[in-house]
Amino acid sequence: MKRIVTAFTALLLLLLMAGQFSAAAQEDTIAKTNLKVGDAAPDFTLLANDWKPVKLSDFRGKKTVVLAFYVLAFTGG
Amino acid sequence: MAKLEASDTVVLGISIDSPAANAAFAKQIGVTFPLLSDMNHKVLTEYGILKPYDVKGDKYEWAQRTTIVVDKEGKIQHVEQGDSAVNPNSAVSVCTGLHKPHGQ
Repeated sequence: MKRIVTAFTALLLLLLMAGQFSAAAQEDTIAKTNLKVGDAAPDFTLLANDWKPVKLSDFRGKKTVVLAFYVLAFTGG
Repeated sequence: MAKLEASDTVVLGISIDSPAANAAFAKQIGVTFPLLSDMNHKVLTEYGILKPYDVKGDKYEWAQRTTIVVDKEGKIQHVEQGDSAVNPNSAVSVCTGLHKPHGQ
């Protein structure tokens, strides 16, 4: 009986640890974009630094657009 | 960056800063392309690149550093995330490749 309890406790511990690991893995993937090459880029309109709105789809058929997402202003990169 | 603008391409910087902060930032680093404000995190959420940060116990969400190239048809041609996305060279080569006339 004691052996069964020990085995059960070990299993429970393993399950708990596995849960923690998968939670950690999830946190890592939060910032990973689901967008893939070939997907349509979601359209948006945002205010530029001159307070004028810029719409992504306005460039369609005219220009290739490089979207450079950066962390915060006044930081490197 | 000048290389990019020369090849029929526009660069749009995007962050959660206000237009006022971006204007000051643009002046400081001397960029000529627009810096866009996603103050309500809408676009970052939609693109799935909002990243949680912990600053002295408080939680904030900012953009994950990402470069995405969108072609003239509105399709994504290139996605680069993390620190390597600081270096625009691979984005430049993608854009240059896109603009090569077919059959060359």
